[in-house]
Amino acid sequence: MTTVKTESLRLQFDRSASVRSIIKQFYIFVVLALIVLAFSVLKLDQGGMFERGHFLSPDSIINLLRSAVPILTLSGAFTLLMISGHIDLSVGSAMSLSAVVYAWMVLNGYSFLPAFVITLIMGCGLGFLNGYLVTKLRITPVIATLVTLSLFKGLALLIVPDGLSAIKGSADKVMPDWINYYARREVFLGLPWAFWVAVFVIVLLTILQRRTVLGKYAAAIGGNRLAAELSGINAVKMVWLLYIIVGFFAALAGLARASYMSLGDPLSGDNMELDCIIAVLLGGTAFSGGEGSVSKTVVGALIIICVTIGLMTVIPAYWQTVAKGTVLITAVVLNHLLVQDKVKA
Amino acid sequence: MEAKEIKQLRKPFMTGKISDESFITLFMIGILLIVFAIASAVVPNFFTAQNMLNLVTNNWFVIILGIGVTFVLITGNYDMSVGGNIALTGVLSVYFCQGVNVSQNTLANGLGLPYPVAIGLALLCSMGVGAVNAFFIAKLKVPSIIVTLGTMMLARGAAQVITQGAQRNTSLPDAFGVLGSLGIPGTSIRIAVLIMITLIIVAYIFEKKTVFARRIYLIGANPEAARLSGINVAKYLTALYILSGLLAGITGILLASEFKAGVSSRAMGYEFDALVIALLGGVSITGGFGSVLGMFVGAIILSVVTSAATGMLLSPDWQFTLKAIVTFIAILSQRFALDKRKS
Amino acid sequence: MKPTENVLEIKDLVKDFPGVRAVNNVSFDIKRNTIHCLVGENGAGKSTLIKILTGAYARTSGQILLNGEEYNPHSTRDAKQKGISTLFQELNVVDQLTVEENLTLGMEDTTFGFLRHTDKINQMVSVMNDIEPSIKPKQLVSSLSVAKKQIVEIAKAVAAESNIIIMDEPTAAISESEIARLFTIIKSLRDNNVTVIYISHRLDEIFELGDYVTVMRDGKHIETKPVAEIQDRSELIRMMIGKTVFEQYTPREDDCPDTILQVKNLSNHRLNDISFDIHAGEIAGFYGLVGAGKTELARAIYGVDTYEGEILFKGEKLKPSPDKAIAAGIALVPEERRSQGLFTILTIRGNVPVMNMGKISRNGFINDATERNVTLEYVDKLKIATNSIEKEAGKLSGGNQQKVVLSKCLFADADLLMLDEPTRGIDVGAKSEIYSLIRKLSREGKTIIIFSSELPEVMNICDSIYLLYDGSLKATLRNSCDCDSEQILHIVTGGE
Repeated sequence: MTTVKTESLRLQFDRSASVRSIIKQFYIFVVLALIVLAFSVLKLDQGGMFERGHFLSPDSIINLLRSAVPILTLSGAFTLLMISGHIDLSVGSAMSLSAVVYAWMVLNGYSFLPAFVITLIMGCGLGFLNGYLVTKLRITPVIATLVTLSLFKGLALLIVPDGLSAIKGSADKVMPDWINYYARREVFLGLPWAFWVAVFVIVLLTILQRRTVLGKYAAAIGGNRLAAELSGINAVKMVWLLYIIVGFFAALAGLARASYMSLGDPLSGDNMELDCIIAVLLGGTAFSGGEGSVSKTVVGALIIICVTIGLMTVIPAYWQTVAKGTVLITAVVLNHLLVQDKVKA
Repeated sequence: MEAKEIKQLRKPFMTGKISDESFITLFMIGILLIVFAIASAVVPNFFTAQNMLNLVTNNWFVIILGIGVTFVLITGNYDMSVGGNIALTGVLSVYFCQGVNVSQNTLANGLGLPYPVAIGLALLCSMGVGAVNAFFIAKLKVPSIIVTLGTMMLARGAAQVITQGAQRNTSLPDAFGVLGSLGIPGTSIRIAVLIMITLIIVAYIFEKKTVFARRIYLIGANPEAARLSGINVAKYLTALYILSGLLAGITGILLASEFKAGVSSRAMGYEFDALVIALLGGVSITGGFGSVLGMFVGAIILSVVTSAATGMLLSPDWQFTLKAIVTFIAILSQRFALDKRKS
Repeated sequence: MKPTENVLEIKDLVKDFPGVRAVNNVSFDIKRNTIHCLVGENGAGKSTLIKILTGAYARTSGQILLNGEEYNPHSTRDAKQKGISTLFQELNVVDQLTVEENLTLGMEDTTFGFLRHTDKINQMVSVMNDIEPSIKPKQLVSSLSVAKKQIVEIAKAVAAESNIIIMDEPTAAISESEIARLFTIIKSLRDNNVTVIYISHRLDEIFELGDYVTVMRDGKHIETKPVAEIQDRSELIRMMIGKTVFEQYTPREDDCPDTILQVKNLSNHRLNDISFDIHAGEIAGFYGLVGAGKTELARAIYGVDTYEGEILFKGEKLKPSPDKAIAAGIALVPEERRSQGLFTILTIRGNVPVMNMGKISRNGFINDATERNVTLEYVDKLKIATNSIEKEAGKLSGGNQQKVVLSKCLFADADLLMLDEPTRGIDVGAKSEIYSLIRKLSREGKTIIIFSSELPEVMNICDSIYLLYDGSLKATLRNSCDCDSEQILHIVTGGE
């Protein structure tokens, strides 16, 4: 009787699991489509959907994609880290710090390549610190990265001279024009280098997640750390590396932001970690790790950008926070429903 | 068992060992004294009576928040929504009692309720935020860090909507500013500080002596064993989050009264500060360990550090870095001290 | 060099824990390419021996030769590298990865980190295929049944070129048809240059599968014999329990007429339609081996797990939740001391009063003096060995920890006290103290249910004995001096 019962339970479970997994695979594209649709049908009386002034007009799409550069650059690495079961709440501040440092270097005569490279190396350093606190000192990731959030933010604020709100050009010292070539100057299809780099980064991280040991081991560590370690995986080294990678891309994102705004704003990365979390949750990554997908996170990131930018045209600025909070809570609920622990038959 | 027999048994059993929590609190008091001494040596005019008083009273709002946050941390959870809750409650306390249809400007019109009713309703809302947190965390078992970041945004966002991104500060009844300005005559001690002190004392007694508090520690120490020992974990978590919301609400009302305005940007970063002082005070995020008294000591340490920085003419931007460094030092030194004690 | 006849030689192995000698001068050999079964009751020392072999524990003294050479692993990974893989009851697979990914975990072929699909993968997959063709390499492990997950683990061990695979109670959680399949696999492993060490309580399996069997009892090696030379179950059983004279069980004088607990048709994921009545004032024992369903039954009665069926306590329907059970008068001493019963970071004083705070407090305020006195009382009553009630509970020895948990539950003033494996991992002295305590409580009118996998324990003190096997209640008997322990063991190992 036990055998029959277990088998029939398992069959029931399998059937519902496959329906659920189909929903899980595709719902995010549906959501994105719905959101785009929703914004596109606004103001239809003022002309066609694809014409100037509308959501799907070329100008609007370009603006959207340019705004999406930082989160697209960062969310892939963030996803990998989450897959391993760890979080980094300091990415926003790391981004701000990188923006400030980059802008400072450009303002003070460094040319593009050195400034670029140094910023990225610094990003690795920030990630190195996070990794050290979490894996070696074994401070729980939330606390460790909340504290580094404050540290990085503080450093960014300190670099900006008193009295100024950001590292920017002035009458005495002009910010070189070329600073915004990276994030503004149109290179291909009306979009800047920063965007295409972000696309490359996404492709790279998707490949990393799906086809390299890094992605596989991240999932193993997040799924069953003991089993991973018994199989010979050095979890400490892996997780540390993942934090460094996140730091690297946070720096790249900050650099893009500085380039876009032609200045280094120590608050420019604020709340980026929240955006990343929303993107990751929408993309179906389990908070406890083990599974997740860079490509789906990217769709989640696009959803956030569409919502943020789209709402900007519809609601006053002071509704933004509530809107974002609602999106986060919705993402939490959706994620919870999709990634529930399966009942063991 | 005879009282005499028990007394005889007692002697060898009470070999003067204080609890780990008390040890850490004493340890942090030691750290406080060291930091204070350094600050007094380095910063001009630090070692004055007024300054020392200020150290305790300037941070009253973070300490009140810290009470709720400490208890939540002891169960192994976070509450990052308190800052947003303060803003919301402050704004609501204004909105509820602003005059009805008094002006063209929507920001000057409110619901016209009497002040006591207004603050009562506002407090209910602050507890409501806590209830929402509890629902997701205790019922749906969603990680508390994420949920409370979400409710933080919802609360602050609601405050921003009600104030259209700015603040509400007009057409207020006379009663509004009273709470914020009452105080002990002849001193700078205001009623908010007295409330803070009362709450700390109550919280400490609560923590040390009540069954309720004891169960919080049990939940944090081993949630599974707590459940098997008959503790309804969901019920206690709900109560704690609502308490945390209530404390945030009280703080919001007091702040709004002090500044006679409901500002949507009030209390930015307070949730982080509350977390910091709890960590400085020895609360362990792994659960089951910590004390509000320690948190209070942590708050004073933070006060000393930040006011010393101000005294040394460092810009306020230094706060973030300082807080981070101080927190790291505290976490690591506490770990070191406890390890040494146990070996 | 010709491979040695014995793949493992164990000589005078000793393992001591504080107060307990878990492995007592054990010596025997394991022949290469055989299925070598290891049997013995709980506490016989099997798990400790295995943990030493797999590097989880360090031995106290003695020698182990692997393929003729000194073997002294300092970690599980070390043991694995030397060719010993273990399948524990907690599955060590990553659910979120595919079968193929699990097989190759830690052994991938890569170019600059990129996973390459090489012959190695094909080889592993074909190993998997030979063993169990119905498992597809691209399936997610989470979609597999427990039995198939085990098979994946076996395939992984084979693919890692382990020449010894240890299996600890592998059939505890799988169905009969799956067991048959597993046995075919194990036999073919043996035929393909792998030695299998197989631990199980199910004696039929020993006869079906084993080439050799080693019996352990009380930490000592009793005998190692070819299975073919064992005549029947009874002989094996006799080796397992020896000539242990059970402490004289004294039958009750009074008859315990009133029913205090009625369980009707209790079923859940692990239990099948269990019904019984327990009488007020008696000591009842549920006896069965690993996987029989004892803990699941205790948890169901206590309200921790869900179930179908009905439970009546003192005539009223029992609501399924621990706080309601405690309020009604039931207390449970859980199976896992450290993770379920004790608050290890709190002190003894912080642990003892937990289930009945009302008695040490008034209006919600704890009376420190009462709390201390109560704790001192129990420390004295149960002879907990400590010089301070402020000692961290996690620092006590196993026996003393269990006494703290017992104190906790006793303080709950329950009418029905349930104890799940009350003396597991506890030294003889503490054991007999706990038994006296149980008898005393019974004399005071408490009803006690013990869930145990140690037969002497059950025979010692229980008035009625309930036998569990594979989630079903197989038999009930009144204890008396001439109970046939062989017959009992026969039933709990699957016999009819």
